Amino acid sequence: MTHTLQPPGPPVPRRPRRRPRFQPARMLMGALLLLFVVFLAFPLLWLISTAFKPLAETFTTALIPQNPTWANFGEAIVDLGVLQSAANTFKVSFISALLTLAIATPAAYVLARRPSPVNRGVLIWILVTQTFPVILIIVPLFLILARFGLVNTHLGLIVVYVVWSLPFVLWMLQGYVSGIPNELEEAAAMDGANQVQTITRILLPLLIPALVATGLYAFVNAWNEFFFALVLLKSPELTTIQVNLSKLRGIEGLARWGPLAAGSLLATFPTLVLFGFMQRRLVSGLLSGGVKA
Amino acid sequence: MKKPLLLSSALLLLVSPATVQAQSAPVKLRFVSLAWQTQAIAAVKEAVAGCNAANKNIQVDYQQVSWDSVQDYLTTSFQAKSVPDIFHYESTPVMEFAAQGVLTDLSKLIPAEMKSDIAPGAWATVTADNGAIYGVPFLWESLITIYNKDLFKAASIRVPTIAKPWSWTEFQQASKKLTVDKNGDGKAEQYGSAFGLRSPTNRIMNLSLGFGGDYFYKDGNRYVVRVTDKERALLKILLDMQYTSKSAAPEGLTAQSPELFAGFFSGKFAMLPGIGVWARQTIAETGPKDLNWGVLPPIKATTQAQGSATQTLSIPAASGHKKEATQFITCFVSRVNNGKLAAGDWLFPTRQSSLRGAPFQSDANGWRVASDSAKYLTMAPYQEVKGYTEVKNKVLTPTFQQMLAGRITLDDAAKQIEKEGNAILAKYYK
Amino acid sequence: MGISLSPPNALFSGRQVKFGSDWPVIARQPAGPKGSASGYARVSWWLFVPTLVPVLILSVWPLVQGLYMGFTSDELGAAGRNFVGLANFQQMLGDTQFWASFRIGGVWAVIVTAGVIVLGLGLALLLNAGLPFQGVARVLVLIPWAIPPVIKGVIWRLVYHPTGGVLNSVLLSLGIISTPIDWLNSFDWALLAVIVVGIWTGLPQATVVLLAGLQTIPEELKEAAALDGASSMQQLRHVTLPLMAPVIFAVTALEFMWNFNSFGLVYTLTAGGPAGTTRLPMLFAYEEAFQYGHLGYASALGTVMVLIVGLALAHSVRRQLRDAAPKESS
Repeated sequence: MTHTLQPPGPPVPRRPRRRPRFQPARMLMGALLLLFVVFLAFPLLWLISTAFKPLAETFTTALIPQNPTWANFGEAIVDLGVLQSAANTFKVSFISALLTLAIATPAAYVLARRPSPVNRGVLIWILVTQTFPVILIIVPLFLILARFGLVNTHLGLIVVYVVWSLPFVLWMLQGYVSGIPNELEEAAAMDGANQVQTITRILLPLLIPALVATGLYAFVNAWNEFFFALVLLKSPELTTIQVNLSKLRGIEGLARWGPLAAGSLLATFPTLVLFGFMQRRLVSGLLSGGVKA
Repeated sequence: MKKPLLLSSALLLLVSPATVQAQSAPVKLRFVSLAWQTQAIAAVKEAVAGCNAANKNIQVDYQQVSWDSVQDYLTTSFQAKSVPDIFHYESTPVMEFAAQGVLTDLSKLIPAEMKSDIAPGAWATVTADNGAIYGVPFLWESLITIYNKDLFKAASIRVPTIAKPWSWTEFQQASKKLTVDKNGDGKAEQYGSAFGLRSPTNRIMNLSLGFGGDYFYKDGNRYVVRVTDKERALLKILLDMQYTSKSAAPEGLTAQSPELFAGFFSGKFAMLPGIGVWARQTIAETGPKDLNWGVLPPIKATTQAQGSATQTLSIPAASGHKKEATQFITCFVSRVNNGKLAAGDWLFPTRQSSLRGAPFQSDANGWRVASDSAKYLTMAPYQEVKGYTEVKNKVLTPTFQQMLAGRITLDDAAKQIEKEGNAILAKYYK
Repeated sequence: MGISLSPPNALFSGRQVKFGSDWPVIARQPAGPKGSASGYARVSWWLFVPTLVPVLILSVWPLVQGLYMGFTSDELGAAGRNFVGLANFQQMLGDTQFWASFRIGGVWAVIVTAGVIVLGLGLALLLNAGLPFQGVARVLVLIPWAIPPVIKGVIWRLVYHPTGGVLNSVLLSLGIISTPIDWLNSFDWALLAVIVVGIWTGLPQATVVLLAGLQTIPEELKEAAALDGASSMQQLRHVTLPLMAPVIFAVTALEFMWNFNSFGLVYTLTAGGPAGTTRLPMLFAYEEAFQYGHLGYASALGTVMVLIVGLALAHSVRRQLRDAAPKESS
């Protein structure tokens, strides 16, 4: 990937949009989008509110705390070590997402561009494996990792997450590649581009949104994972954020709500920032007119 | 140590090197704890540090696991033979693990002083039919009634005492009296009681014991489930309070206990009956400062007996250091530590000498009344039934939920429990 | 920089492999008439190896062991493997509670998947329409994805709470209902209530992959359609959706499998209640394995779920994959 023979051209500016100022259709679309945002984002309000509530206000329903406090953040950071576990989780999630993409992209290319019965069989097999309860393969998996000396290491967790995210990433990527008409590659080839150039200059730019989307998936998947992290890591200093947060839950549905909300907020924040950066990349990387006839 | 062949060399840097223990180095033990409240964690850490300092040859690493994941954690650990040396859990699942042969029998390892000091009822919860002991019980709790003193005064209700506890009839009458329809719209604004019956089974089993309702009965060398009049007594009371006298809040039918606190704080519920003693901590810490509350002694049926599970410390059969692990448990559940650990969780220490300690006999936060109820605690029969969890998940809980929701009658529920419950038990007792 | 070398293994039919940096790609072969079955892209199986090795070791092998366990009477702690043939499967046939949960799982998986795909597609189109605050909206809609799972159930239990919950107060004030409903404990509403949470939690991921799908469609094609006078609805129907088909199909198939396989979220919401009305099949299998220690039986349940759902999907998957195969330009 480092050897693009020619640097990709600058993105062509998007077509200027000329639209009338008031358009009922767009107003309606805006309203719909707002509804979606409210439906999906409302818990953030609750998290923020609870994170700043002192213990005595735990059971009040008011959105704005009467005596807001930073104590919950202190408890989450100092007592629980949320930052350390967030750093652990970031490392594990980031490396596993990159690795997943690195090994899935070529494979997805094969699956999409070389249709064969074997190939279809592989895809179906991958899909079918998704139905088998994870809870039943955890023990064999654990034993294999133990044999490689990977229990209680971050590497062991990374390997598990790569394998765990692969099916989805692979399936999605082959879907994206299939959606890109062959003609673009053919045209480039006729133009004298070799395969590497075709892939790096034509396919990869087109795939950037797909790589971002699937990479995000792999990242979030690892970030949110609980069970493997629970059973594979024994040392407290290796703990991931989800396992750490679960320690704030108690019996009979009780929990230390304030620190739990504060810690959850801290755990949500990096992901949201990452989304913020990445959403720009969800815009097409296509070089419009990049393929000259 | 075998290297993973599949990984690039760069990533191998991340593998932490396995440390090789020298022969003379202290024995390292891993201890999985479930303490989760700030005070309780502090008490556990202090006790562990104390034991590590007292015996340099045994060094214990403390690892916290949450209550809602410990079952999965342990099951996987047992299967993969990668176990902690000591783990904290509850007597009922511990005895199920024991039946599967993954735990160490401690009966020969426990020192005599500890054996005699811990309450016999607590030992019963971890003792198998053949006398083998699979854990050291160190904490337990009773089900008490928490009440709003001001509302009691307003309704001029006599407060029952340890010497003169309520019968269930008196309790029902009081609950009725405390149920008030202030605006006369036919719906009460204030309820005498709110039971948290979302997961009703264990609570019903434990309270039924006072009526002699055991549910599970020995038939030769097997257990069968029966719903006789003794079992029905409590169910009838619950149904009456919810549907006939309507003195129990309807939202309690499907609530978890913590979901009732808001209503108790606002004065909507005058009593939280049959709630664990731990609830006092939540009320003391999160309730309004001007809330005037107290603890009532256990309600008397035929007796005041109650079933209770215990929190336990056990040693997996796969642990390589059983002797050292026992030494640690002995230190960890010393008379002093036991009191501190129990106070940190607002539960009872199982050591009778610790329970006589000052914190448990004070009048603050209802401790004295609560602690007195510890003497009624005993093991409920369900705790030694093989397959109880399956009967509970598949039959008891769904049936109680249907009955409490008014979808089936008590008679139907009783039939359903006996028919389906015994079909499952038959798989376990062949 | 590409170096040509022959693959060390004759299995791969002697095609040339080109390594451009660490990016092995088969060079285009002049062989074969145009339009032959193998077509333009002659791509090596070598590209598949990095995927295959970890999958074989860490997915296929444990899976095979898991499948085998279904034919044993393994219990937690039981020494050795006790082969019992089809006994577990016979027991399953008469297990009415399992089949009840299987039905519930079907309803849950179908509705959640459909909801996630339809709403996800709509949301992706909205997020791609150049509306104001698009960037912020794109981040905010991902919140259910970013929030720690441990908190999701807590929040929705509060939303659904019979007396203090937001949902009841809104519906009451709008006059849609006259008495509060205890959503998660109602025999009539609990399944629907958890389905809504299932859609809520699955929507961000589906939206992101569908949004990415929208973006991978070359602008030229839409421009060409626009030049031909196609309205935006027509563009959507005749250009966007057909080209999105492989992505939509892939995400639908996976979402379905996934939803059928899930139980964590529902477990925190209802624990399978009231009276088993939300007990998903995987929760049933989980309880068998982890709470009763019946590992053999739970594996058999898993095997049957693989077979039924997998085979049901395999047919349509095969057809779809065949249709989606790259078309040759004449």
